[in-house]
This record gives sequence, structure tokens and C-alpha cells, in this order.
Amino acid sequence: MTDNGFTITDEQRDYSQFNLEENPFPYSPVPKNDPEIYCGQEHAAKRISDTVSTMLSTGKSKHLVVTAKYGNGKSHTLKYTRSLVRDRDDVLVGYVAQPGEGFRDIYHEFLYDLGFDRVQQLAYEYLAHITSDITDWHPSRPDEMCELIDEGELLLSEIIPTAIQRLNTVTQFADFSRAIVHMVYEDTNLYAWQWLTAEGIRYEQRKEMEIHSALDDDTTSVRAFTALKNILLELGYTGVFVFVDEFESIARLSPKDEQATLNSIRHLMDQNSHGLCLLFACAPEVWQDVMSEYHAFSERIGQEVALRPLTDEHLTDLVASYLDTARVDGTGGIAPFEEECLQWVHQRSQGNVRQVLSLCSRLLDVAADRQQTRVGRELGETMISD
Amino acid sequence: MSLASLSKRAAMLYRHRTLKTPHGPLETPVLFPVRNIGKRSSDNTPEYADSIPDLRTAMVNTRAIRQRGPQWDRLLEGATIREEMGVPSKTILYADSGGFDYRSKEVDTTPKQVLETQRQLDADIYGTLDRPLSPENRAVENQQRIEESTTYALQASDAHEGEALLFASVHGHDPKTIRNTLRYLERKGDFDGYALGSLVPIRTDYKKVTKLILSARRVTDKHLHVYGLGGIVYQPLLLYLGVDSFDSSAFIRSAGNRNYLVPGFGGTELHSIEELEHLPCSCPVCCSRPLSTIRKDRNLLTQHNLWSLVTELRRFRYMVAGDYDIEAYLDLRFEHNEVTQRAYQMAKQQVRRFT
Repeated sequence: MTDNGFTITDEQRDYSQFNLEENPFPYSPVPKNDPEIYCGQEHAAKRISDTVSTMLSTGKSKHLVVTAKYGNGKSHTLKYTRSLVRDRDDVLVGYVAQPGEGFRDIYHEFLYDLGFDRVQQLAYEYLAHITSDITDWHPSRPDEMCELIDEGELLLSEIIPTAIQRLNTVTQFADFSRAIVHMVYEDTNLYAWQWLTAEGIRYEQRKEMEIHSALDDDTTSVRAFTALKNILLELGYTGVFVFVDEFESIARLSPKDEQATLNSIRHLMDQNSHGLCLLFACAPEVWQDVMSEYHAFSERIGQEVALRPLTDEHLTDLVASYLDTARVDGTGGIAPFEEECLQWVHQRSQGNVRQVLSLCSRLLDVAADRQQTRVGRELGETMISD
Repeated sequence: MSLASLSKRAAMLYRHRTLKTPHGPLETPVLFPVRNIGKRSSDNTPEYADSIPDLRTAMVNTRAIRQRGPQWDRLLEGATIREEMGVPSKTILYADSGGFDYRSKEVDTTPKQVLETQRQLDADIYGTLDRPLSPENRAVENQQRIEESTTYALQASDAHEGEALLFASVHGHDPKTIRNTLRYLERKGDFDGYALGSLVPIRTDYKKVTKLILSARRVTDKHLHVYGLGGIVYQPLLLYLGVDSFDSSAFIRSAGNRNYLVPGFGGTELHSIEELEHLPCSCPVCCSRPLSTIRKDRNLLTQHNLWSLVTELRRFRYMVAGDYDIEAYLDLRFEHNEVTQRAYQMAKQQVRRFT
């Protein structure tokens, strides 16, 4: 479709002259939810691995802050780490894109990232746990438990009173226990979900579930998070991972709200010496302020790792890794990019990953449009001057 | 049958069946008028068994009869409950356990004793011992009551023998519990049907009640009875939802409040009507008597109200037999009342998902 200078087409570019199926670089260089590539931050990888592994191996809580300037891969690092641990059966992993207005928002985002189905599964897992204790049935998975109930193999009313009683002991938060149990009832599970995610529900809806309090502030959110983690430990999980991205946005809060948020996170850490791993991504200047002004918080985290701009060598590795994902002939390397071109990309981007990916993506498309088989430095310079 | 009429029938769950009982076949859906025999010093239910030809059923309270000493003694000495009630010997009796009394009391009997009494009453249908729920109870307590009632039902199933039918009393305030309990009973016991209870205290929550009934209907093809909801407003809804039988004392209670029941309209307090000489109903009570006579006589009013319940059922049956569009009929039936109209619209949506 050509009109007034616009040419809109769904015809795909041909990258076959580069032996590529497609342009492997993202057009909008934001991290994927499940990144496959991680390059050039060996020191960070080591520190993160150590933090995560310590929690997994000892069950003791450990936390870390990842700092870096914008575009240097903080979100990517968090999401990559999450992709490494999220498939484990013994942990629960949640990603919080940004901390919002306070801990209530962190808790809310965390629950939303887990999702309704996962929390409902947890409720069934807990019922299965109780069922194994008080009946001759030994369901090992949530779906097995669900089937036993749906098929009438066991009587739900026999399980529920014991489940609520034991949950109360585990969570020390009776309202939370009731909300978890209500996740299995189709009449009330959406109300329970709304309450659990701190969204707020009407009094009548709470009353129907015998929930007396509202989960609507930082204090009760910390309590709810701890209750959830305690259920997980009771079920034999090793713990919970919380990835909080864009932590620097707390600097936009009023000093009072900022302090309240940091205090709530501190309380969370204090209440959970076992089974909790918090990973924050934060701009270095904000983290410096936190370090200097809020000792009680920063001392509990204790660890910081700074991501560095890519070196020439790392940049080459990164580009080769991306190209490999679309390569059709199995050859490796940086072709069709020439070495000089990548040096130019490095200079231009100053090792900033986001800019590297953006430049490479554009260069490959321009080369494809011009039907060139190589991508040289001069193409980059022309592209910029155009 | 035309395709159009097939689709009219498919859009509801109404069903017509014949239940085999010791005192003869029973065409369903059917109403069991609650006979308050034994609950007070005298029977406050009017004679109907001879005057309403298609109403040869009654619901009696096992516990109340058992506790009424002199009458119980007469029964032990050879009198029959049907004689005591003054109804024909072929009247089909449904004896519920009287569990409604256990809402606030401890259970003072056993499933076996209840069965024994029901046998002694020569009832055709036995309702198992149960403990109804209340929205005011703690959830945990209600769960324990559900478990208790389920255990009682299974004990009754083990102890039951003979030709009388055994209906397990089932309670729950959410569909999952209803489905689970019914399936559990189906697996572990031997029942001829199921009776859904604890709906009276939540009867104004039409959405919940229709959901619960549908969840039970979804699970079993066996006879489904609903305790206590056979009043003039609920009846068409229950028929539409595929309920096979229901009981009601609404005709007695309404008469006590001088409420005059009219199919399609519900109840009207008679003190608000002054100018009329005759009431609009053509039942044997109203057709020849002036309003002033009926207003004064509670017994007449009770009889009329029972006629109204029967007429409501007859009318529904007629619409089905005449192959009318039942949903269109019910649209009209509930048109004048916003609450029941909304209830019916919700039931319709649920039934359509069901069918």
C-alpha cells in the first residue's frame, strides 16, 4: 500500500543472503520474558549464582541488589535469572516490574505474576497435604487432589475443617487461611483472589468467606506474604524468589512513603530469615542514596553487584549468540557483520547492551534492503547520516 | 415433534417420570404438602387428599410424630399414620427426619432409629437424618454438619431394607460441596434419590439457590427433591430446573398471615382488598364463596392456597403437554416482579449452559 509517501507492506524481508532465517535482534530492545542469551557479565553471574544457590542449598534467606545504568541489562539479568529458577518444583518465583507506591504494590504484583491458577494449585496442594494425613488417600499433585474431590472419592467437608485449623497454625493469619481455602470454591474463588492480591473486596464478599480484615496496606501485605511463604515451607518448598525490577522508582515517592516502603521490605526480611530470596534491580545513583540514608534496609541486603558496559570481546560474543539463534547453516561467528563494524557499534553504543542490539537490528535490515551480503562499518556510518 | 418444539424442550430441564413406591406409582414432578401433624396439639393441615385428585402425597416429620407420645402409642398399638391424618390408605408419604429441629439442637437420635420410625409410619420415602446449615453458623461448623449428614446418610443406606425409597439428605452452600457430597454418596451408598436441604434460609438469594440446584441436577439423574421451597414463586423455577419433587408449608403459613396466593402473582394480604365481592380464583373454595367468608376462615384460606400451589403445577404441566414455549411462558410468569424476573433470567442462562 503506497500513499502520500507511506509504503506499508506485509512482505517479509529476505535474510537468506546472510544465511539467517530472520533478523535475530529485537526491534524494540526490551528483555524477553524468558531470555535465552546472557553474555558478558561473568562477575554478576557469579554473584547472582552464589546468592540463589545459597538459598537453594541451605534454605536460608539471602538478598542481592543488581545495579547498572539504563540499558545495561538489569531487567535482562533479572529475567534471565528468573528463567533459570522458575521451572524448579521446590520454589515459587515472582517478578515485580516496579515497586509502585509501596510494599502493598510489590505484594500485589508478585501475586499477579504467580497468577490465579498457580495460587489455586497451591490451595489444592495444601488440601492434598491434609488429605494424606487424615485419610487413606495420598494425592501428590494438585490435579490429583482436584480429581478426588470432583469424582467424590473423598468428602470435601471432611478435609476443610482440618485444613483451616492447620493453616491457621502455619500462617498465623486466619483470614489468609480462609482466603486460600476459598480458592477451591468456584462461587468465591474470585473474591478470594481479589482479597489475596490486595485488590480489596466489598464487605459482603468478605463476610461470605468469613474474612474479617481488609488486606489493604503495607503491614498486612507483609503479613500475607509471610503467610504464603510459610505455607510453602510447610509443603516442603525450599522458598520464594522475588525479583523486583526498576527499584529506582522508589525515589519518585515522597520521603515518608519511600521510608515506609523500605521499612516494610526490611520487616519482610526480618520476618523471613528462611526461604526468601529478594533480587532487586536498581539504578546506581538511587542505590547509593538508599545505602547512605537507610542503613537498616541496605545493611540487611548487604550485597550489591554492578553490571558493566560490554567490552569489545563481550559485544562480539553477544552478537554471535544472537546470530546463532537464526543461523541456518550451523556456522558460528559474527558474519555478516565485519569486525570493524562491531568496533564501530561498540564506540557508538559505549557498550550499552540496549543500544548494541538496536544498532545491530537496524544495520541488518538496511543491509537486507540494499541486498548486501556483508555489514561493514561504512554501512553504519551511512545509516546514521541518513 | 417438530424441530422447533424439540428446541423448546431442550432449553429446560423439566422432566416427567414415574416413581415406583410401596403405595403405588407416583407421577413426577410432584408437590408434597407439609402435614404439620405432630408438631402441634392438632393437625393444622386442611383435608385435601379427597378433594384434590392429583394430590395424594404428604410430607411428614418423623421426629415430631415420634415425640408426640399419645399418638405414637396409638401407632404402636396398630393405628396407621394415614388414619391419624385422615387420608386415604393409598396416600404416598415422604417422611423427612425432622432434621430442621437440629439446626439449634444436638442430635438425639440415630440414623437407624429414624429409619425404624419411618418404617413404623409405613412411609413410602425415607429422608435420611440430617443437620441443616445456617448462614449464621461458622463455616467450619457448617462443614462439620455436612460431614455429619453425609455419614448419617451412609449409615441409613447400610441399615435400609424393604421397598420404601431412601433419599439422602444433602446440604451445602456452594456448588462444589454439593457435587462432591452427591458423588461421594453415590459411590459409597445406595440411594433412590437425593434431597437438597438448607436452601430455605438463603431462598432470597435466587442466584445461589439456582446454582446449587443445577449443580445437583448435573451430578445425578436420580430423583431430586428440594426441601421447603415449593412455594408459589419458587415452584415454576424448580420445575424449569428439573427438580422432581418439592415440599411446602407455604399454604399454611401464608393463610396464617391472611395471605391469598394466586398463581402468577404470588401472595396478596386480604386486608388490602375490600371492594370485591368474589375473589378471582375458580377453585372449589373461592368459586362459590364471597370474599368476606374466606377472609374470616383461615381453614378455607389454607385450602385455597393449596389449590393455588396445585394449579401452578398443573399449569406448568399443561404448558409442557401443549408443547408451548416454556421460556416464553416463564418470561410472562415472572414479568411483574423484578427480583423473580432477574432470578429466572439467571436460571435461564445457567440452564442454557447446562443443556
